[in-house]
Amino acid sequence: MTSLRTIIAAFLCAIALGLASAGLYGLPAFGHYPGPYGDIINRQGPAERHATNMVTLVNFDYRGFDTLGEEFILFAAVIGAVVLLREHRGEEASARPDQADEAPIPERSEAVAFGCRLALGITALFGIYVVLHAQLTPGGGFQGGAIVGSATALLYLGLGYPAWRGMMRSRVLDTAEAAGALAFIGAGLAAIGAGAPFLTNLLPLGTTGSIVSAGVIPLLNIAVGIAVAAGFGTLFLEYLEETREPESGGEQ
Amino acid sequence: MTPLQIGLFLLAALSGGAVVLTREPRRQAVAMGFNGLVLALLFMVLQAPDVAYSEIAINSVILPVLFLVALAAARINNRRREIDRP
Repeated sequence: MTSLRTIIAAFLCAIALGLASAGLYGLPAFGHYPGPYGDIINRQGPAERHATNMVTLVNFDYRGFDTLGEEFILFAAVIGAVVLLREHRGEEASARPDQADEAPIPERSEAVAFGCRLALGITALFGIYVVLHAQLTPGGGFQGGAIVGSATALLYLGLGYPAWRGMMRSRVLDTAEAAGALAFIGAGLAAIGAGAPFLTNLLPLGTTGSIVSAGVIPLLNIAVGIAVAAGFGTLFLEYLEETREPESGGEQ
Repeated sequence: MTPLQIGLFLLAALSGGAVVLTREPRRQAVAMGFNGLVLALLFMVLQAPDVAYSEIAINSVILPVLFLVALAAARINNRRREIDRP
């Protein structure tokens, strides 16, 4: 027996599928980009700014102001999560794991610990590489920062909670996140101080293909990388703190 | 469209459907991680490596971990409330 709900759902799905198919059919063929903007960027970008990754070039130079907004979306989201969780919990930290049922917490297997320790260094190093080569190869501050942030999850899986907690200092992470965000604004204001519009790329451009080329772009990416990595570290920390047993008298 | 692209599009639809059809939240988090991995590969094949990096780090690692931790915290909170209520 088909209910009215199923019929309506099927009807709406059919409409959505039809619209999506029509939209996909009207797309230009893969690799046949019709607009002028991409071609102009590809022609002007390397000559004007000595960068080879056009995505980063647009994000951190031509449309750098937009990226400032995006950067602060994550910043605000992390602060929101921290404020909500800490309001409930207080600022106290606890290392004792709490449990949902009486079953003992299983030991983490040696294979998992070994695999995570092995992957940890490589992941973190790759994240730093992606941040530092923002203007040269695919990736940039956000991507590299997120990769470094995911390496901190491996740290927790590989070394266990107490060791992870010892390394993730809340105050250091908060400071790093704020400092990264501040550095982005600082770079923008420095351009105003020099008499140019906000976030103008005034630094020497260097040799195309070098790690210190493209002026202010690498600095902005390092700032974003630090802020994003610290932001995700803070999120893990605040979420995992929710699974700890509160210290006696810690909770009101 | 190359066979690789078609295959990945189908896999993306399959793994996305699997996320919706999985009803157990913990399994759903893992299914979402797999869906993120497929999407990252698809972006890579469509020559958008910048997006692929973000996709794989956020959707395959950070989001599932946060979901699993949040589910654990919710269960622990439920238990605490049951203990507090005599």
